[in-house]
Amino acid sequence: MKESFRQSMAWLHTWTGLMFGWLLFAMFVTGTAAYFQQEISRWMRPELAATADPVSATQAAMTYLRTREPDAESWFITPPSARNPVTEVFWQPKKEEGQPPTRRKRGETSATLDGHGHPVTVRETRGGYFLYRFHFDLHYMPVMWARYLVGAAAMFMLVAIVSGIITHKKIFADFFMLRFGKGQRSWLDAHNVTAVFALPFYLMITYTGLVTLATQYMPWGVMANYASTDTFFEEVFPGRADVPRSGVAAPLVPVSSLMVMASRSWGGAGIGFVKVANPGDSTATITITRAADTAIAARGESMVFAGPTGTLLDRHVPEGGALATQSVMVGLHAGRYAGWGLRWLYFLSGIGGTIMVGGGLVLWTVKRRAKLPDPAHPHFGFRLVERLNIAAIAGLPAGLAAYFLANRLLPIAMDNRAEWEINSLFLIWAGVLLWACVRPQRRAWVESLSFAAALFATVPIVNALTVSRNMLTGLVTGDWLFVAFDMAMVTVASALAWSAHKAARAKPNATRGTRQKNKELTTA
Amino acid sequence: MAVHPNKAGVRRHRLHVLARAIAAIIGGYVVTGLVVACLARLLPMRAAEASIAATLASFAIYAGIVVTVFSTRSMLRVWIGLGGALLSLSAILYLAILAGGRL
Repeated sequence: MKESFRQSMAWLHTWTGLMFGWLLFAMFVTGTAAYFQQEISRWMRPELAATADPVSATQAAMTYLRTREPDAESWFITPPSARNPVTEVFWQPKKEEGQPPTRRKRGETSATLDGHGHPVTVRETRGGYFLYRFHFDLHYMPVMWARYLVGAAAMFMLVAIVSGIITHKKIFADFFMLRFGKGQRSWLDAHNVTAVFALPFYLMITYTGLVTLATQYMPWGVMANYASTDTFFEEVFPGRADVPRSGVAAPLVPVSSLMVMASRSWGGAGIGFVKVANPGDSTATITITRAADTAIAARGESMVFAGPTGTLLDRHVPEGGALATQSVMVGLHAGRYAGWGLRWLYFLSGIGGTIMVGGGLVLWTVKRRAKLPDPAHPHFGFRLVERLNIAAIAGLPAGLAAYFLANRLLPIAMDNRAEWEINSLFLIWAGVLLWACVRPQRRAWVESLSFAAALFATVPIVNALTVSRNMLTGLVTGDWLFVAFDMAMVTVASALAWSAHKAARAKPNATRGTRQKNKELTTA
Repeated sequence: MAVHPNKAGVRRHRLHVLARAIAAIIGGYVVTGLVVACLARLLPMRAAEASIAATLASFAIYAGIVVTVFSTRSMLRVWIGLGGALLSLSAILYLAILAGGRL
């Protein structure tokens, strides 16, 4: 009975893993990259260099907004920080009477400012933020659908992890077992080692990932106590609902003193976000939220001040246990609190997860290839998995490199430039899928991996030719971001080239081997 | 769940897998939703806290049900278990809502 329980779990692990494996692979790749989304954004906007003092920059941004959008419903200001050198502002424009709210283009309601409140001209790009959003919103499809799809994938992942742990007899011994050059056995070892290496991380990241959108996936807990999820959110997060303007003009107090005061009351923590509602009116309020890098919980504390007087109106009340737990779980997933050391650990664990999922997908085909009734002409399902594996594992990295290259190569003044950077990613990804479908599978592996490696290796070169900041200048001037980025590109290129090399040299045990030989391999 | 060599066996195997998948994915979701709703009503905390506490536990409950559905030998026992849970949890939830408070 015990053995058959394990067998049923092995079966469950195999098939839940395969069903959403490709989507999970893409989520792991983009999610891992998103731990450095600010750094990627900085690399993709090389025009921005100098950083500014957050307090005076926020004050300057207020001056800019006062001249540009005095009648806005609200202003939102993200001050510069150690990881982002500029002030990002956006605003909610005044509602026109009797007119439905129109969809506005990016740039019409937002601006990027330097420390003196002057708009800076940068190439249009969505930077690392796109990778962060793709991780749970995907692209070219409605966000709601994407989130259900991503949630289903995460739930399959959770079941795959639990059944994988049960399947695994010698979880500790296998951690020290990595046999190279042994075909199927090596793939299984690689899958096991990467899985066990960061097992707590995978469990944490999968569960907390589900928690980030829990009220969408599992609204029944809220629905049991509230008429709708909206009334729940209204009670839990009273967002100082929109107060109509009084029409009496009143200038805002200088925000700098409020920021200093808020920061002091949070033990010197930085300011993450400033919101001004009804600016310039006697009903104006200023909400200051703590920066995310000083505590794990995702919902930072905030303080609300009266705009014209600067009186403290309201402050964040400590939450109950369950809400605080949720906030910490979301914070653990996003890792915004993490310093450099921890951030790299997150990143490496994410890479481990990427290899675990990719290795598991490959293992599925390696295990079955030897047992195929006719290895030279595998059935459709097998070929489909084989080709999708190539498209996902080699294609997405190639697309990522193309995204970075497009950022440097597309004309600066191009229309819809940011969208075309993203299209480049998917065009290359689709190209690799097509290639994987028309070529013999082993050739397709070698060629696609080499192609992805070449694209990554090209990034530092293209960067050096198009932009004045690169690894060499970085070493001289201490511009570590550009040093690290180039090194990362070279490392990824080397890893992909090594994989291509291994794929080219791997013993073809099913395509050329005889049935007899296969039998020996499987029984060995 | 070994693969059967003959065609009829393969077909039977696939139908069996389909039945289990439906029981696990849909049955599991419905039962989880009911457990979460009952917990949200009955946990001795503020309404908002109880709702979130129950929601946080939901994915572990769901995963547990899926694993159980796939490891139980007899499909009949799976359906009886899920059906029984469905009825009793619905009754509890109905009574909890009748008893009033919250909402």
